[in-house]
Parts: sequence; structure tokens; C-alpha cells
Amino acid sequence: MFRLKGKAMLATALVPLLAMPGVAQDYGNFDGYTLRVKLIGGAQYEPLYSEISAWEEMTGATVEILSRQNHFELDREIKQDIAAGTLDWCVGSNHTSFAPQYGRIYVDLRDHISEDVLSDFVPRVLEHSTVDGRLVQLPRHSDVSNLFYIRSLYEDEANQQAFEAEYGYALTPPETWAQVADQANFFADPPDFYGTQYVGKDEAVVGRFYEMLVAEGGQLFNDDWEPTFNSEAGVRALDWFVDLYNSGAVPRGVPNYLWDDTGLGFASGSVALNLDWAGWSAFFNDPENSSVAGDVGLVRAPMGSAGVRTGWSGSHSFSITETCDNMEAAVSFVTFLTDHDRQMVEARNGLLPTRTQVWEDARAEFAADGRDFMVEVFDTYSASMAEDAFTPPLIPEWIEVSNVIWPRLQAAIVGDMTSQEALDAAAREASVIMEDAGYN
Amino acid sequence: MLRYLRTRQAKLTPILLLSPALFTMLFVVALPLVFSLYTSLTPYRLIRPETIEIFIGLRNYVRLFSDPDFWEVFGRTILFLLIALNLEFLFGLGIALLINRITWGQRTLRTIMMFPMMFSPVLVGFQFKFIFNDNIGVLNNALQSLGITDQAIPWLVDRELAMFSIIFAEVWMSTSVFAILLLAGLFAMPRDPLEAAKVDGCNSWQVFRHITLPFIMPFAFIAMTIRSLDVARAFDIVTVMTGGGPAGRTELLWTLIARTGYENARMGQANAMAYISTILSIAFTYFFFTKLVAARRFMGGAE
Repeated sequence: MFRLKGKAMLATALVPLLAMPGVAQDYGNFDGYTLRVKLIGGAQYEPLYSEISAWEEMTGATVEILSRQNHFELDREIKQDIAAGTLDWCVGSNHTSFAPQYGRIYVDLRDHISEDVLSDFVPRVLEHSTVDGRLVQLPRHSDVSNLFYIRSLYEDEANQQAFEAEYGYALTPPETWAQVADQANFFADPPDFYGTQYVGKDEAVVGRFYEMLVAEGGQLFNDDWEPTFNSEAGVRALDWFVDLYNSGAVPRGVPNYLWDDTGLGFASGSVALNLDWAGWSAFFNDPENSSVAGDVGLVRAPMGSAGVRTGWSGSHSFSITETCDNMEAAVSFVTFLTDHDRQMVEARNGLLPTRTQVWEDARAEFAADGRDFMVEVFDTYSASMAEDAFTPPLIPEWIEVSNVIWPRLQAAIVGDMTSQEALDAAAREASVIMEDAGYN
Repeated sequence: MLRYLRTRQAKLTPILLLSPALFTMLFVVALPLVFSLYTSLTPYRLIRPETIEIFIGLRNYVRLFSDPDFWEVFGRTILFLLIALNLEFLFGLGIALLINRITWGQRTLRTIMMFPMMFSPVLVGFQFKFIFNDNIGVLNNALQSLGITDQAIPWLVDRELAMFSIIFAEVWMSTSVFAILLLAGLFAMPRDPLEAAKVDGCNSWQVFRHITLPFIMPFAFIAMTIRSLDVARAFDIVTVMTGGGPAGRTELLWTLIARTGYENARMGQANAMAYISTILSIAFTYFFFTKLVAARRFMGGAE
């Protein structure tokens, strides 16, 4: 009896051990080695780094974080390292939009990470992490935007009747960007309340314009890499931003808005509809920070006139330098930071995982905890990551091209130029960059 | 022979003593300057280090001289410097005169006055970005609550207001530099001429205009020179508050150079811009030094 009981207890004790995916993984032994890394810093990225000590304990190695800055600062530093030939570190944070600029300083991870490990990642995200056929990044979490809205505005009967009387169709969360424009104009009551908002400067506004261009059936470049965004579709896409600005449905300051401004604006309860990434979802529903907590609805990003949904996407990732002096340790480190348990840490904060299994496990955990809104968030974002997500052109010139486009987009928005004039001017400047780079 | 060696040694001694300073100047100042001048004659791109070997002569400069956008930015930077420095001088002078008059709590006030200088420009930028935000900003909310306006004023978007907002942030941060230097001037001022003027029946304005102001002008020009060189710290403020936009309305040389050099990785072109903007700095410094010498001569301090 005692023996049987003992066996039963042993078997019970082994179940959780066998069920824990992290325990089975061997991250190697690098006793005494110091791994030098440059990581992206910022509130939403930091929780993952508290896990680094676990990797240090497992492997005996030490991690020296040389840099922990926002991505624009980090980008500047990496470019200086390339210029000065001082790539004396192993692992660096990277991003889909930035990766193509760095040429061949990072290794092809397919040569170092087994197909077994890579097959656990969402295939589309790995595809987005590939530059010139080389997998230069191991994606950490992804980013795509969907549409948050204030639910009570749509449930209000007076709103429903007034909207239908004015626009001739029922007031429901929008399916198309034309409906977003109608509803934004309907809800707007400046300066107290706005229909929607958008980020209006830097690469951010170019990304928003780009996804709208695709949704309208246009493209940035043709097959010969000549700019084609000054097409009719381009003008329609830009007019969407311009018209909302002119009608006062968006705040007057949007040409100066970045991600914090739109997120905080929606949380302040003064904006009806807000296209944003999943990282804000917990914040929007937190009564401490948000005056719309408990009243937030979410739908997939709407479609443009071409029947395509907007889905500008990118992933934060890790890369390993070609000059790394201990490739095994570096591979072990990036694999650890993107493994199942580490991605669960990020998913709990609302960041979108890049492993297929984590999507399911995080969703199940939210459902078990009764966090229904987070379940809805994960359902919506997993659909858009799987079906709608697309990246900007993965060419080294992307950031430079976007730097000539955004001042022109702003010029159209604030009325210094017409949409066609602005896009023609941007296309001319983009042509020079592409010609200089030897595309045509 | 011995005398010859001694004389030679005596002649070499100053050079030997100066050599650490000369070497430091050579490596820290001269070499980087020559290197950046050379790179401005190449199509040097940070992400393609090999491009530093391609010599293209003055092509970067020719491109810039025929680029109206660059000259618009150049002109806007001069305007920014003129307005910001003059306002900082006027406010700094006012604060220094007021603090000079009080007898109780002067040290505390002097410390409080220096608070804005202690903030990093990035923090100042964020602080004013949210103050001037049109929707959730403190300023618009205050104006609307007080019934002064029922509009959301686009402080960071409107052509004039955006420059005003940036100048406001810059003046807020740096006025205390002028105030401190001018206050030092006021403390160093002898009392005799002031008392003599009062005995002769001068009123306060006459005392200020003919005695105090000429005396502190050298201090003002020193402050102007320092600030005209140091004002590029406003780069962080502009980057955070507007990023040079919208539509280039607040673009200054520093934001343009940083974007060209780092984000676009065109360091050769950025260095050409930087060399042209150096002319601006030299012009300002020369102007203020001339004024400084004139001011010192006027008050009899130079001779």
C-alpha cells in the first residue's frame, strides 16, 4: 500500500515537470562567458529583461547590456558601430522596418537555429523577418493595429436614430474606412470630442498612409521600384486623412501626434474611434488610467475601397552579429528570450506573441481568469496577424524614403498643398533616392 | 656651446609645456574637423563605410546651394536664434534686476531661478509637448475652462504658433543662463557711480540707462556668445515637440542635419550642411565679440 502510494505520488509529481516546456530545453553551458548585447528600452519592453537572470543561472554566462535605448537611438548607435567597425557585441534588438538597412552585419539564423524551433513560430512573421532570403531576425512580438471604439456611443438609441437618419445606414462598428469617416464626422464635437485621430508625423504617418494606400488598391512602388503612390488610389488614401482634418473630426494637433498622443487621447475619453496596437488594450480598460475603462469595443481594422483591410505590421526581434565571438551562447540567448514561457510573460502585458502555441495558451489563460476583453483582443489581433498583416517594402531605403514622404503628407493635411501636389512632390524626391541607390 | 644649449632649452621649454594642450587640441578638435570636412566631400553613408573613399568634390555643397528647402531652414534658424536670444536677454535682465533689489531670500530665489537649467532638454520638450497638446494639453483646457476660447488651439501645428511654442520652451529653459550672468555683473558693479548719479539728481531710468546697462553689457555679450553656440541644445526640444514639422514649419538646421546624417545615414551630405551652419556660428560669435570689445571700451574696461 505504502509502495503504491509512493509510486502514485511520484507519478503525480512528474506530471507538471513533463508538462513544462521550459524545463526540457537545454540552453547550454557558457560558464564565465560575458555576452554583450544592445537591447531596446522602454516600459513595454522591460518586463522581459527581468527574465535574463534565469538564463544567466542556467548557463553560467553573464549578460552585459551595453545599450538600452528607444529604437531610434539604438538605430543611430548601430549605424555608428557599422561606420566605426566596432561591432564587438553579439545580440541586438531589431525591427522589421529597420532590419533591411543594416546590410549583412547580422547572421542568417536558419544556419544556427534548428527547423524544429523555427517551426513553432507563426510562418508569416518569420517571412516578415527575412531580408534578401536570409532570416536575420528572431521575432519577439508583433505589431498590427485594430480599431478600438467607445461601446456606449454605439449602444445609445438616440445616436443610432440620428445616424441612420443622416447617413442612411445603421450605426454599427465600422467595416470600411468610408464608414469610419462618416461615423467620425457624426460623433465629432470639437473641441470637446473628436470622431477619430491618427498619428501625423515621422515614419508613423507614412505607415498609416501606406496601409490605406494598399486598402485602396494602390502600391508604393511598381515592379521596377519606381514610386507609384501618387496614383488615384494614393490621392484617395491621402484625401481620407485630409478630409477628416478639414471637417474637424480629428484634433487640430494630429500632424504632430505620435503613438503616445493617440493612446492617451483615446484613454481620456475624448475620441470615439482609435486605430491602435494591442499594447494599449490593458491600459484602455484600466480604470486607474482610462476614463473609457469597461466601455471599450474592438473590431478588426476596416477595409478600403479595394476590399482590402489595412494591416501595416512589423515585429520587434533579436539579431545576432556576424562578428559575434560565441555564436552558441548568442543563439541560446535569443532562443531563450523568445521561448514559450518568455513569450507568455510578454503576452500577459498585451504584446502579440510570435509563437503559434502562445497565441492559444495566452488566450486560454485570459479565458480562465475571466479577462473577457483580453480574449477578444487576442481573437481580433490573431485574425489580423494571420490574414491582414503586411510589412513596408523590406528595402534598405525604406526609412529614407519615408523621410521624404511624411513632410509632404503633412503639407497636404495642413493645407499647404493639394493631395496630388504633395504626392507628386514626394514621388519625385523618392525617385531620386531610388535612382541614387541604383534601382533604376 | 653651453650657453647656446641653455638658450635653446629656454626657447623649447614653452613649447614643451604647451605640448599636452597642443596635442589635445589636435586630436580632439582639429582632426575631427578635418575629417568631417573631408567626409563632406564624399557621398559617405554610415551604413556603407566603404563610400568614404569616393571623392565627389563639392557636389554636396552644390546640391545644397541650389536647394531652396535648405535655405528656408537656414533662414528660419537665424530667425529662431535672433528671437530666442533677444527674449532670453530681456527676461534674464528683468529677473536679474529684480533679484538684485531684494534683500531677503535672495539665495533661495537664485536657486529656484536655476531650476529650468537643470532639466534635460528632452524632458523640457516632453513637458511642453503635453502642455501645448491641442486636445488633452493643460493650456487649451485652461483657456477653455476660463472661457477665453471655445476652440482647440493647434499650438504645435499652426505656422506661427508652432514656432512660438518652441521658442517659448527654449526661452523657459535658458533664460536663467542670462539671468545668472547678468546678476553676477550687477553684483560686481561698484556702488560709487550709482550714488554719485543719485546725488546729481538722476532718476532711476537715467541711472539704469547710462550707468547700470553699459556696465553689464559685456556680461550680456558673453552670455550671448555662449548661448549662440550652446543654443543647438534646442535640437532635443524641437525633435520631441514637433520633429521639425508639420510640413517643415519648425525645421531647424540641427533637426535637418541629424535626420540626414543618422536616419537617412547620409553623413557626407549632413557634414556639408554642418559646415555651412558653422559659418552661421562664426558670424554670430564674431558679431558678439566685436560688440563685447566695443562695450568694454565704452565703459573704459578694455584699456
